[in-house]
Amino acid sequence: MSVTLENVTKHYGGGQVVVDRVSLDVQTGELFVLLGASGSGKSTILRMLAGLTAPDEGVIRFADRDVTLVPPQKRDVGLVFQNYSIFRHMTVGENIEFGLRIRGVPAVEREQRREELLELVGLGGLAARYDSQLSGGQRQRVALARALAYKPAVLLLDEPFGALDVKIRTQLRQNLKEIHKTLGVTTVLVTHDQEEAFELGQRIAVMERGRLLEVNTPEKLYAQPRSLFVATFLGGGTILVGRCQDHKVALGGLSLPIPAEVPHDEGDRVRVLIRPEQVRLTAERPRPGAPVLGQGEVVEQNFSGATRRTRVRLPPLAGVRQVVPPLPFGEENPILDAVVPAHDPPTPPAPWVTLEAWHILRQPTPRLLVCDEGEGIAPALELAKPLVDALDAIATVLGVSPDARRQDALREALTERAAAAGLAQPAIRVRRGDLAEQIALEEREAPYDFVIVGAGDSDPRPALRHTNLYEELLPRIKTPLLLVRGRPRRFERILICTAVGEPGKADIRAGGWLARRLNATVTLLHVTISGRTMPALVHAHLTRGVATLRELEVKGRPSLREAATPLEGILAELRSEPYDLVVTGAPPPLARTPIRSVSITQAIVRRAGCSILVVPAGTW
Amino acid sequence: MSTRAYAVTRAGRRAAVPASLVVLFLLPLILMPLAAVFLFAFRGGPLAFWNGLKTPEAQFALRFSLLVAFATAAVNTVLGTFTAYVLSRYRFRGQRILGIVVNLPVAIPTVVVGTSLLLLWGPIGLLGRALGPLGLQPMFAPAGVLLAHLFVTFPYMLGAVKPVMDEMEETYEEAAYTIGATTWQTFRYVILPTLKGGLFAGALLTFAHSLGEFGATVMVSGNLRLKTQTAPLYIFAQFEAGNIEAANAVAAVLALLSFFIFFVLLRYTGREGD
Repeated sequence: MSVTLENVTKHYGGGQVVVDRVSLDVQTGELFVLLGASGSGKSTILRMLAGLTAPDEGVIRFADRDVTLVPPQKRDVGLVFQNYSIFRHMTVGENIEFGLRIRGVPAVEREQRREELLELVGLGGLAARYDSQLSGGQRQRVALARALAYKPAVLLLDEPFGALDVKIRTQLRQNLKEIHKTLGVTTVLVTHDQEEAFELGQRIAVMERGRLLEVNTPEKLYAQPRSLFVATFLGGGTILVGRCQDHKVALGGLSLPIPAEVPHDEGDRVRVLIRPEQVRLTAERPRPGAPVLGQGEVVEQNFSGATRRTRVRLPPLAGVRQVVPPLPFGEENPILDAVVPAHDPPTPPAPWVTLEAWHILRQPTPRLLVCDEGEGIAPALELAKPLVDALDAIATVLGVSPDARRQDALREALTERAAAAGLAQPAIRVRRGDLAEQIALEEREAPYDFVIVGAGDSDPRPALRHTNLYEELLPRIKTPLLLVRGRPRRFERILICTAVGEPGKADIRAGGWLARRLNATVTLLHVTISGRTMPALVHAHLTRGVATLRELEVKGRPSLREAATPLEGILAELRSEPYDLVVTGAPPPLARTPIRSVSITQAIVRRAGCSILVVPAGTW
Repeated sequence: MSTRAYAVTRAGRRAAVPASLVVLFLLPLILMPLAAVFLFAFRGGPLAFWNGLKTPEAQFALRFSLLVAFATAAVNTVLGTFTAYVLSRYRFRGQRILGIVVNLPVAIPTVVVGTSLLLLWGPIGLLGRALGPLGLQPMFAPAGVLLAHLFVTFPYMLGAVKPVMDEMEETYEEAAYTIGATTWQTFRYVILPTLKGGLFAGALLTFAHSLGEFGATVMVSGNLRLKTQTAPLYIFAQFEAGNIEAANAVAAVLALLSFFIFFVLLRYTGREGD
C-alpha cells in the first residue's frame, strides 16, 4: 500500500517544530528509508505513520484512505521499536501470535502462521523462550515477526538495528532485505546510519531539523546531492567554493563548466563537491587540458584495509574558499581528501592532483529569519515580502515568548501577521525566553543568510534609554543582521561603509549581492581622518572594492570623505543623499571590552535614520 | 586452583564471626520473643489452646480481622494500582507533592491516623457532625476500622506496583496498540500480566499489615467486643484482663498466619527474581 504525507507539521510543547511541512510519497512495496541525525524529526514521522502521534497540520494517506486521525489499532501497520518492547510475560510464540489472537484467528491457524514466521526470521525452535532468554539480535527478530504476523499493509521500523553490535547488524540487514523481497510489504525504516540507509533503502529521504531536504535513490543522493547538508551527511569529500565567471566556476587556474540544471548568476558563489574517489594523485604532470588543481603535498595517509585515505594540501587557489573539511587553524591552502586502492603504488610526497569527476551543488535558496513581536507595527515582516520576492528566498518567522502560557497565542498572531504581510506559508517558529538570546540561538541552530529585526527609530541620546534589542544582538550574531528602521518597502540606494585594512570584504560582498538582486545603486564610502590616511592606500582600497562589486555585476560609485571621525563622515554622507540602507561591518569580537565602549557600528546603528545591514567578518 | 580453595575457606572463616554476632543479637530481639508466643500458647496443653480460641469473642475477633484485611487488600489493590498508573504515566503540576502525600501514611504514627479520622468522621468531627442526623456513624463501627486500615496500608500497594510500572516502557503499550489491541485488551493482556507480581506482593503486604494493625484501630473502633474488636485488640484486652492464655492462643494464630503470608511472599518474589 502506498503511503503519502502532505504538508505534515508537528510541534512539541514549547512551540518547537519537530516536523516542518513534510511531504513525501512511498510507493507500494518500496523499502523507504528516513535518514537524519537525532532530533531531525524522523522518528516523529514514523510515530505519526503508526498513529501514535497526531500531526498538527497536514494529511497522511495510506493508498487513498485518509488515516491522519485514525487510531493505531485501525491503521493496519506493523511497528518495530528500537527497544523491541517484546512482551516479557509471553513466550516468543505468544508474542508473535498476539496480533492474531486479538483478531480472533483460530489456534490451528495461529500456530501455522507462527511457525512460518519463526522460520522466516530464522528463529525456528525458539517459540517457547521468554524475552529474558534471548540475545539482542533474537529480540529484534521476534519484534519483526510479531509485527509481520497479521500481514500489515505497512511495516514501520524505528532504528531497528541501533542497539546491536556491528557484526549482527550487517547480518540482520541482509535478513531484512531478503524478508522484504519475499513479502514485498511497503516498508519505512528510520535510521541515523548512513551506511544502513545506503544498504537498505531503495529510496532515501534525508531530514534535518524537521525539514525534508532531499529524496532520491542512494546512488543519486551520493553522486548528485543538491544541498550542502546532504553532500556532507552522506559520504566524505571536499567542498570548495569558487566564483561563477562566464558560466564557469574558477578554482585557481582551473575552470569547470557549470551545468544548466544548476543555474548560477555571474559572481555567485559556486560550491564544488569532490568525492575522495574522484581525485587522482600522480607523480607525473598530467597531459595539458586535464582538470588539474595543481601540484600538492601529502599531509596525511591512513591505511584502512582495501583503501588508503590520503590528505593533500593544494597550492593556493585564488578566490577559493574551503567549506568541508574545515581547515585547521592557521591553514591557508585548501586541503583535499583522496582515497586510492591500497594496492596502488605509494603516493608520491608531492603528487599532481587531477579531478576525474566533480559535482556542482545547487545554488542555495537564501533563508531569511524574520523576527516579529506579534503585536504593534511589523517593520521586519513588511519588508520580508519584497525581499523574499526579489531574492527568491524562504522566510522563517520567529517570535519569542517570555513564558510558556503565551506561546500558542503568539504563534497564532505570527501566522496572522505573516499572512497579512503577504508571506505565503512561511515557517513559524516560537521560542521561549530572552528575546536576544533566543534569536541568537535560532540563528546558530539553523543556517540563515539574513536575520531581519525591527530596530525602532534612531536615537541620538542612547544614554536615556534602556538597552536596545539590536545592541544585545550585535555582539552575539554571526549572520548578517538587517535592522529595519521606519517602514521601507524597498532599497534603492545602498551605502556601503568600508575602511582601509578591514579584514575581508564581507560587507562589500553581502551589500553588493543584495544590491544586484534588488536592482539598487551602490555608493562605496571611505572616510579619511583628516591628514592621517595615505591617499595611495585609500585609492587602492576603493578600487578593489569597486572591482569586487563589478564581479557581482553591480555598478558601484566610490565616495571619499574627509572628517574628524569615521562616524561623522558617514553621517555627513547620509545627510547628503537619501540612502535607504547602510551596510557596515560588525564590530570585531576582540574589540569587545569589559567596559561598554561604543563601537563605530553601534554608533552608526544609533544615529543613522535608515535601515542598516551589519555584516560580521568572514560570513560572505 | 589451590589459591581459589584457600580463598573460599578464608571467606567462610571470615564470615563465621560476624554472622554469629548477628544471630546473637537477633536472639533476644526477634527469635526468642516469637518462640515465647508459641511456648505460652501451648503451655496449658492443646486443650487450653483450643479453649482459648473457642470463645465467641476470640472467634469474632479473628474472623473480623480476616474480613477487614481482605476488604482492605481488595480496595487498596484497585486504588493503589490506579494511583501508581497515574503517577507513573502522566506528567502534571503538583505531581511531586502528590507522590509525597500518598506515601505519607508510612511516616505518620498510626495513633495519630486514628485521632485524625475521629476528628473528621467522629460524632463531633468536621464531617461526622453533619452525618450524625442522617443516621450515619462511621466511627466505632466496622466501616471506621476499614477506613483506618485503608489509610494506614495505602502506600504498600503503591510501593509494590509503581516500580514495575515505571520500568515498563511506554512503547510496551504502544506496541500493543499498533498490533491492534484496544485499550482494554492492552490492559488485560499486556499491562495486567506484567504487573501480576507487583499486584500479588502488594496485596499480601497490605493484607499482612491490616491483620496486625493496632494503633489506628484502637482509636476508631471503640474496641467494642463482638462489634469492632479485631484480633490484635482482643489480644490486648485479654492481656489487660489477665487472661494470658486466651491472649496467647489468638496471638499464636496471628503469628502463624503472618508466617504463612511471609513465606508465600518469599517464595513468590524468589521465583520472580529468576
